[in-house]
Amino acid sequence: MRLCCRIPLATFELDVDASFDSRVTAIFGPSGSGKTTLLDAVAGLRDIATGEIEIGGKTLFSSARKINLSPQRRNIGYVPQEGALFPHLSVRRNILFGAERIVHAAGAKGIGMEHVLEILEIAHLLARPVTKLSGGEAQRVALARAILSRPQLLLLDEPLAALDIGLKEKILPYLARVRDEFAIPMIYVTHNVTEVLTLADWVLVIRGGRLLAQGAPKETLTSGRAVREIPEEQLENVFTVTFMESDKAAGRSRVRLSSGAEIFVPYLAQADRPTFQIRVSADDILVGIQRPEGISAGNILPGTVRAIDLIDDQALVSVDAGEDFCVRLTSGAVTRLALDVGCPVFLIIKTRSFRLL
Amino acid sequence: MILSFETWQITLFSISVGLASTLLILPFGIALAWLFARKEWPLKSVIETAVLLPLVMPPVSTGLILLKIFGRRSPLGQWLYERGIEIVFNWKGVLIAMSVMSFPLLVRSVRTSFAEVNLRLEQIAATLGASPLRIFFVVTIPLAYKGIVAGALLAFSRALGEFGATILLAGNIPGQTQTLSLAIYNYVQLGKDSEAYTMLGITVGLAFLFVWCSEWLLRAERKN
Amino acid sequence: MFHHVRKSLSVAAIFVVLAWTQVNARADEILVSAAASLTDVLKEISAGYQAKAKHTVKFNFGPSSGLARQIEEGAPADIFFSADLPQMDVLDKKKLLEPGTKKNLLSNQLVIIVPADSKVVITSPKDLLKADVKKIALAEPSSVPVGVYSSKYLTDEGLWDQVKPKIVPVQDVRATLASVESGNVEAGFVYKTDAAVSKKVKIVYEVPIDKGPKITYPVAIVKESKRKDAARNFMNYVQSPAAKDAFKKYGFVVLD
Repeated sequence: MRLCCRIPLATFELDVDASFDSRVTAIFGPSGSGKTTLLDAVAGLRDIATGEIEIGGKTLFSSARKINLSPQRRNIGYVPQEGALFPHLSVRRNILFGAERIVHAAGAKGIGMEHVLEILEIAHLLARPVTKLSGGEAQRVALARAILSRPQLLLLDEPLAALDIGLKEKILPYLARVRDEFAIPMIYVTHNVTEVLTLADWVLVIRGGRLLAQGAPKETLTSGRAVREIPEEQLENVFTVTFMESDKAAGRSRVRLSSGAEIFVPYLAQADRPTFQIRVSADDILVGIQRPEGISAGNILPGTVRAIDLIDDQALVSVDAGEDFCVRLTSGAVTRLALDVGCPVFLIIKTRSFRLL
Repeated sequence: MILSFETWQITLFSISVGLASTLLILPFGIALAWLFARKEWPLKSVIETAVLLPLVMPPVSTGLILLKIFGRRSPLGQWLYERGIEIVFNWKGVLIAMSVMSFPLLVRSVRTSFAEVNLRLEQIAATLGASPLRIFFVVTIPLAYKGIVAGALLAFSRALGEFGATILLAGNIPGQTQTLSLAIYNYVQLGKDSEAYTMLGITVGLAFLFVWCSEWLLRAERKN
Repeated sequence: MFHHVRKSLSVAAIFVVLAWTQVNARADEILVSAAASLTDVLKEISAGYQAKAKHTVKFNFGPSSGLARQIEEGAPADIFFSADLPQMDVLDKKKLLEPGTKKNLLSNQLVIIVPADSKVVITSPKDLLKADVKKIALAEPSSVPVGVYSSKYLTDEGLWDQVKPKIVPVQDVRATLASVESGNVEAGFVYKTDAAVSKKVKIVYEVPIDKGPKITYPVAIVKESKRKDAARNFMNYVQSPAAKDAFKKYGFVVLD
C-alpha cells in the first residue's frame, strides 16, 4: 500500500509519505496528530491537497493524475471511533447494510455472515435495537458491519479508546481474531502501545502531522525517539507463548516463550488456545546484577544487556533473555549498578506482573 | 355548537388549500434545506437571505411583489393567462401566497433537523457502498423525519393564518378565495362580530393544535 | 446593562410625550371621515379653506361603511361625509350625530369602467355576462355604498345572479379603480367622478340617472366632536359657492 498525502489542517499540515505491505499497519501517535484525518483521507471522506493513495496496485487517489474515487467505489471498511451505528436500524440491518454490494459482485467469495457473527460473538444481538447495546457490543457490531461489506482494507480508528480497561482487554482478542480469520489488511489508529504491539506488523509513528518513524512495532516503539511519544504507563513487552500447565494451588500457570524459556504467569483455569499473547510493563521488571535469593518473584531470567538508551531521567534498557525484553529504569539505577552493554544481568519479574491478553 | 354551512365551507377551503400548499413546498423545502445543511455553493448566502425574507417582511410587501410577478400585465402573468391559468383573484393565488409565506418556516425547521443528523453516519454509509440517493433516503431522512414533519406542521399553520399576501394576490372573494383569516377581516369590517369570533375560535384552535404537535415532535427528536 | 435600559426607556418616553403633545397641541385641527370617492375634491376644497381659516383639516378616506363603524367604536372624527344614506342612518339611530347638522349635499352617477387598453367590448350591462369578462371589481356589495348601489342596480336589471360569481369584492371605490387600472379584472363599477380622476381606465357605460339607484351624499357633525365650532366652520365652507363649484368641476351633482 502506498500512502502519500498533504492535507492542511487547522493548526498544522498533515504530511505523510509511506509505503508498506503488511497485514496490520498501526498508525501511532498522540491525540490531535492528524491520525483520524489520515483515515478519512484514505476512505475518501476528506479532500487531499496533493498526494497519492494506492492499495494493491489500484489507485484510489492521485492529485497528479486527477483520480479521486468516491468512498462508495473505494471498497474500504471503516470502523470510526464512535462506532457510528445507524440508530434507527436494528443490529441485523446495520450489519447487513453494506452487504448488498457483495450480492452484485461477481465471484464474491469468502466471508459469510455466520462466520463473522461467530468470531465476534454477536449472534445473540441481532434483533436488539442498536441503542440498547453496551460499548463493547457496539464496537463488535461496527466491526462486523465493516467486515461484511467485503472491503479490500479495514480502517479502525481507536476502536478501544472509548472502552474501560476491563473491556479493552476483552475486545482486543476479538481484533486479533479478525486479523487472523479474515485476511483483510487493516490500518489501525491508536495511541495505545499494547494494541500496537499485540496486533500490528508495521507501525507508522505520527506527531503533529509528520511521520516520525516507521518499522516493526517492537523496535520502533521501544526506540528512544518513540518513547518520548509514549505516556508514562504505556511501555509494554508483548510475547506470544505456548501453554504448558496450570497449578491452582500455587496460583500460577507455566508457559513457554518462543525462545524456549519458561515463565510463570497468573493462574489460568484453561487455555482457549494453545498459543496466546501475554504482556508485561517495562516498568514492572527489575534488573539485578546478582541472582537474588528469598524473594517472592516467580520469574528470574538470566540475560545480557543489549542496549541502553538514556532519555533525561529515564533509561530504556534492552535485555536479551532469549527474547528481547525492554526494561525502564531510572537513570540513577543504571549508574548505581554500573550497567553497560554486554553486562550479564538477571531480570526479576513477578508472576502477577504478567497480563494475559 | 353547530357551525353554519358557510363557516364549514370557509374552514374546509382554508384547510385544503393550506394542505395543498404544504405538500407543494415540501419537496422543494426538503431539497433546499439539504443543500443548505450539507453543501457549500456560490451565492449560498444570498439565497439563504432571499428564502428568509417572507418571514421578516410585512406580508403585504410580499403580496405586492407576488402581484407584480403574477399580475396580468407582467410577462409571466401574460404567459399564464394565455394558457388559461389565472392566479390573481383566484384560488391559485391563495395557494401561491400560502406557499411563499410558509416556505421559510419549512426550510428553517428541516435544515436544522438535517444539520443535527450526525455526518459520520452518512460518511460510514458511503464507505459501505451506499449511493448518495440511498444515503439520503435510508439514513438522513429517517433520522430527520420528525423535524421534517414538525416543519410541515408549522408551515401548514402559517398557511392557515396567512392574510396580507393573500388579500393582495387573491382578493377576498367569498366562496372562491376567502380563507378563515380573510373571513375574520370581512366580518369585522361588516360589524358581524359573532361570526368573526366563531372564525377566531376555529383559527386559534387549529393553530394551537398544529403548533403543539410540531413542538412535541421536535422535543421527541431532540431526546434521541 | 440596566443603565442602558433606563436610558432607552427615557428616550422612548420623551418621544411618546412629544408625539402626544403634538396631537393635542392642535386644538383647532378637525378630522373629517369621508367616502373614498370624495378624496380628490375634498383635498382641493380644504386647501382653499385652510388658506383662510385658523385651523387645519385632516382627512380619513375610506369606505363609508368602515368609517361609520369606526365612529361607532369611538373614533375621534368631527365630521362624517358618507356616500349613502343608510350608513348615515346607522349613526343617526345610535344618536351619534349632532342634531340638526345633517345635510344631503351631493349626488353622483354610477358608471362601468374597463382598463384603458382593454379589447373587451361592453356597451351595456348585459355585456358583463360575456365570457371574456372574467372578473368584475366592486366595492363590498353588502355594505360599501357604491357596492350596494351597483348590486341593487344589477339586481333590478335581472343580472345579479349571473354576474355574482365574477365579482371580486374590494375595499372601496378607489380600490375598485385601482384593480381595473391594474388589468387584473376586466371591468368595475365606480362613480363617474372616480373615473374622471384616472387616465388608465375608460368609461364604457353610464348608468342613466333615472334608471339607476338614487345616490345621495349626506354630511353631518359627529355628536362626540370636541371641536364643534371649527367643524361648523368647515361645514359652512363646504356648502359655499366656491366649494360647490369645485364639486361640479369634479363631476358631482350638487343637491339644493
